[in-house]
Amino acid sequence: MKSKYIIIALLALSSLAFGYSDSVVWSDNLVDNILGYDKEGSLHLGQYFTILQSTYFKPLFFGVLFGVPAIFLIHYLIIGPMIFSHDRKKIYVFTLFNRIVHAIAGIAFILIIPTGLIMMFATTFGGGEFVRICKDIHAISTLLFIVSIVPMFLMWLRPMLPSSDDIKWMMILGGYLNKRKDPVPAGRFNAGQKMWFWLATLGGFLMIGTGVAMYFQDFRLDILVSNSISQIDFLRASAIIHNVLGLAVLALFLTHIYMSVFAIKGAIHSMINGYKEEEEVEILHSSYYKELKEKGEA
Amino acid sequence: MSDIGNARLKFYCDEHRCISCDGCSVACAEAHELPANINRRKVVTMNEGIFGLEYSLSIACMHCTDAPCEQVCPTDCFYIREDGIVLHDKDKCIGCAYCLYACPFGAPQFPQDGAFSIKGVMDKCTMCAGGPEETNSDKERELYGQNRIAEGKVPVCAAMCSTKALLVGDSAEISDIYRERVLSIGHGAKTQPYGWSTAYGSKI
Repeated sequence: MKSKYIIIALLALSSLAFGYSDSVVWSDNLVDNILGYDKEGSLHLGQYFTILQSTYFKPLFFGVLFGVPAIFLIHYLIIGPMIFSHDRKKIYVFTLFNRIVHAIAGIAFILIIPTGLIMMFATTFGGGEFVRICKDIHAISTLLFIVSIVPMFLMWLRPMLPSSDDIKWMMILGGYLNKRKDPVPAGRFNAGQKMWFWLATLGGFLMIGTGVAMYFQDFRLDILVSNSISQIDFLRASAIIHNVLGLAVLALFLTHIYMSVFAIKGAIHSMINGYKEEEEVEILHSSYYKELKEKGEA
Repeated sequence: MSDIGNARLKFYCDEHRCISCDGCSVACAEAHELPANINRRKVVTMNEGIFGLEYSLSIACMHCTDAPCEQVCPTDCFYIREDGIVLHDKDKCIGCAYCLYACPFGAPQFPQDGAFSIKGVMDKCTMCAGGPEETNSDKERELYGQNRIAEGKVPVCAAMCSTKALLVGDSAEISDIYRERVLSIGHGAKTQPYGWSTAYGSKI
């Protein structure tokens, strides 16, 4: 009786040791993976990925990387930054917890985005060891992103829900197209910040999922098997989603930096010490300011 | 060879002849001293278990004329030789596996390198033509395996193929050989798998 269990345990352990030989990409599934490329009824993801990656992704990333800052440079030169009085009262808007979570996410983004771009433009950097290290940093800093994205999603979920102010904010593009200090319709977060939040959290979960899939590559997911999606098609879809979302993340990340560092003078300090200038809140988050007034907190 | 200047080297596996013996993949792994879990060549069986439709064929890098791997590589580490052999530079490769997503044949292989199951650089069939390093140098042998083409030898898989199902050479020559084989079916040539009637009699 005892020896039976020992044999079972040995078999189970040896299957672990030889687990890799049961590859999802290259063993029996190789046939499904091959047929998935262009057979009738296939998703044709092989061709889509090849066309996108060979002709579109690189110029698009190039366009976003230099186009978005160029637009902001023009904005900065023509309209200029918003400058709010620093002499009035300060309003405490971000708790220490908010700031720590934001800082972790920020570090993750600062590591992930440039390394991702280096991989996209690997030819320019000559490939090899340097880009390989960047690829590993890209993967490892995902851990930082994972620990920050969950608390960030939960702590800001409620104020980030859409409201009627968002449409008005979009109509005037947040009041950034003129220098007048009209109150801008926005709650605690404006529509632009909300867009960034949903992209960074929901989009972030997708980025993590697709990235982890490409990192581990050879694993069995029952949901794919039951829907007869081949592993390579799943990886192709992951690569397409990861790159398309990456474009959006890059564009909004550059916007986020421009807004906090250049467009609104001193705005970055609210994420360092938690306090925003009263005038800044009054103009840029007028609905939130009214709310605070009614509560007597401002 | 008819016209050596325009020759494009190709593999072709005659599925009427392949007996799924795996000789090619074993020969390949042995000749290039490939690590475990790297299968540059693989024998697959299509329509397995369906009577009359089942056949086997040997698959590796097919050295495509418009190789999609070369188009998607972010490091541009692929290069296509004048004779059509698709090779890559392992010093440039970052192991992103984009070539695997683009490949219709699942040819690119990735060793698991060290901790955290980080993917190593890509490895694939070189048609026994080595890589960008100096021909027959130690480094080339270590990274890419034998360079039999430089020595005027046939790639080891096709050389070892016991039924001569796996053909390699100028695509025009290969297609001539295959056409001749197809035309001779039913005209004195064996219609059953090679060797079957000799071993078991033709009635089965």
